[in-house]
Amino acid sequence: MSSDLVISCDRVGKAFQLYVRRNDQLKQAIFGHWKQFYHQHWVLRDISFKVRRGETIGIVGRNGAGKTTLLQIICGITLPTLGRVQVNGRVAPILALGAGFDHELTGRENALIGGAILGMRRAAVEARLPEIAAFAGIGDFFFQPLKLYSSGMAARLAFAVCAHADADILIVDEALSVGDAAFNAQCDAFIKDFANHGTILVVSHDLETMEEICDRVIWIEDGVVQGMGTAKDVTARYREAIEGRPVAALAAGF
Amino acid sequence: MNLATPFANAWHHRELIRAVVRRELAVRFRGTILGWVWAIFGPLVMLGAYTAIFSHAVGVPASAKGGGVGGYALSIFTGLIVFNLFSELAYRAPGLLHEHAGVIKKSIFPSETLAWTATIRAAVYAAISLGVLLVFELALTWRLPPASLALPVVVAPFFLFLLGICWFLMALGSFTRDVAHLMISIVPVFMFATPIFYSIDDVPPSLRIYLHLNPIGNYVEMIRDLLLFNRFPGIILYSGTALASLLIFFFAYRFFMQYKAVFVDVI
Repeated sequence: MSSDLVISCDRVGKAFQLYVRRNDQLKQAIFGHWKQFYHQHWVLRDISFKVRRGETIGIVGRNGAGKTTLLQIICGITLPTLGRVQVNGRVAPILALGAGFDHELTGRENALIGGAILGMRRAAVEARLPEIAAFAGIGDFFFQPLKLYSSGMAARLAFAVCAHADADILIVDEALSVGDAAFNAQCDAFIKDFANHGTILVVSHDLETMEEICDRVIWIEDGVVQGMGTAKDVTARYREAIEGRPVAALAAGF
Repeated sequence: MNLATPFANAWHHRELIRAVVRRELAVRFRGTILGWVWAIFGPLVMLGAYTAIFSHAVGVPASAKGGGVGGYALSIFTGLIVFNLFSELAYRAPGLLHEHAGVIKKSIFPSETLAWTATIRAAVYAAISLGVLLVFELALTWRLPPASLALPVVVAPFFLFLLGICWFLMALGSFTRDVAHLMISIVPVFMFATPIFYSIDDVPPSLRIYLHLNPIGNYVEMIRDLLLFNRFPGIILYSGTALASLLIFFFAYRFFMQYKAVFVDVI
C-alpha cells in the first residue's frame, strides 16, 4: 500500500439485524445457534473506493442511503460486516456537532473534553484554547455554561474544536449548515484551507458546495455505489435522479 | 492479550479518562449553593443517624458491645461505604453505554474507559466518606490505627473488582435494559449477604464459608480489620479475594472488548 493512499475501502458491506419484536433480540442471543430471529438488512453492499492524500471527496445520496454508516465505518466507530477498510492517519470526525458536550459545563471546559475525545493531549488543547475561542467567535460566552448557548453557538464551538484537532483526515457529516451565513463562510474557508494539506470526506445535500470543494464525488443509492467521478459529473447525474423518486425504502420482504 | 493489556489501554487513554472524571466531578454539585459541602454532608447525616439509632432506639448487638455505640456506628459506616461503592456502580453500569450513546455513535470514543471514569468518580465520593469516618474515629478514640496505612493494599484489588463488575454490567446492559431492573431487585438482597449490620463472626461457622464467596463482604471485613481493629486480615482471605478480583477484572475486560464493536449497533 503506497503511503499516498489514506483511505481504502475494499468491498465493504454492512448489515443490521432487524428484529420484528423487541423480545426476539433476547431469543436470538439464547437460541441463535439453532434458529434465526432477525431479518438481515444490508445498509451497504460492495463499496470499494480509494482516497489519496490531499483529496476532497464528497458523498451524496438520499436519506437512508447509507452515507452516515459508511462514515462511521471509516472512522472505526462501527465494524463492517464484510470487506476491509484501511485508514492511514489521524481522523477527526464531525458527525454530530457537540456529541459529548455537557450542558452544565462552560464552553472552555467542553472544549477541553472535546479535544480529549479527539485524542489530543490536555496541554495541546490548552495551548490552542485562544484559537478555538477566536474561531468559534462566541465572545465571553466561552466562559459560560453551555446551557446558555443558542444551538448555533454550540455548533460553532464544536466545529472550532474539531477544526483545531490537528487531524490528517477530516470527516464531515452535513455539519456545514449549522451557523449563520458568516460562520458558514468561515467553515467553508477553513475546509478549503484544510484541503490544501489534508484529506477530507464530506457528506452534504448542498450540491453547489459539493461541486465547488470536492475533487471527486461518490453517489450512494440504496447502499451501493451508483456513481463515482468528477464532482460536476456525478452531482449532475444525481440531481437528475432525485427528481421524482421517493426516499429509499427498507429492503423488500420485510 | 495479557494481564497488562487493560492497564496499557487505560494508560493510553489517560488524558480522556482524566478529562471525563473532571467533568463528572465538576458537574455533580454545580448549580448548588453549598457545592462540595453536600459530599461531606451526606455521609455525616448517615453516620449521625446510625449513632443516634443504636445509642437510643435499638441498642448495640451483643457481639459489638466491646466497641460501644460509637464503635458499632463506625463499623456499620465502614460497611456502608464499601457496599455503597459497589451498589452505586451496579445501578449505574447497565445504563452507562446508553447514557453515552451519542458520543459513542458520533465520535471515536473508547467506551471501555467509561468503566474507569465511573469507578474513579464513585471512589472519590467513597474517599470523602472515608475521611469523615477517620475524623470521627479520631474524635472518638484519640488515635488512628497504624494498620490503616495498609489500606491501599486492600483497596487496590477492590478497585479492580469494581472495574470488572462495571465492564460486565455495561456489556450486558447494552443488549437489554432488563439488566438495570435486575440490579434494582438483587442489590438490596446482596446488602443482607454482606456483613454490614453484623460481623462475619456473628454468623454460625458452618455458614461463614458461603458468606466468604461474596467478595464485597470480604472487603468490608478486611477494611474494618485495618481501620477499626488495627489488625491485618488473614493472608488466605486476602489472597483469595484479591485473586478472585483479578480474575473478574481480567475476564470482564476481555468480555467487554470482545463485544465492543457490537455495542454501537445495539444501543
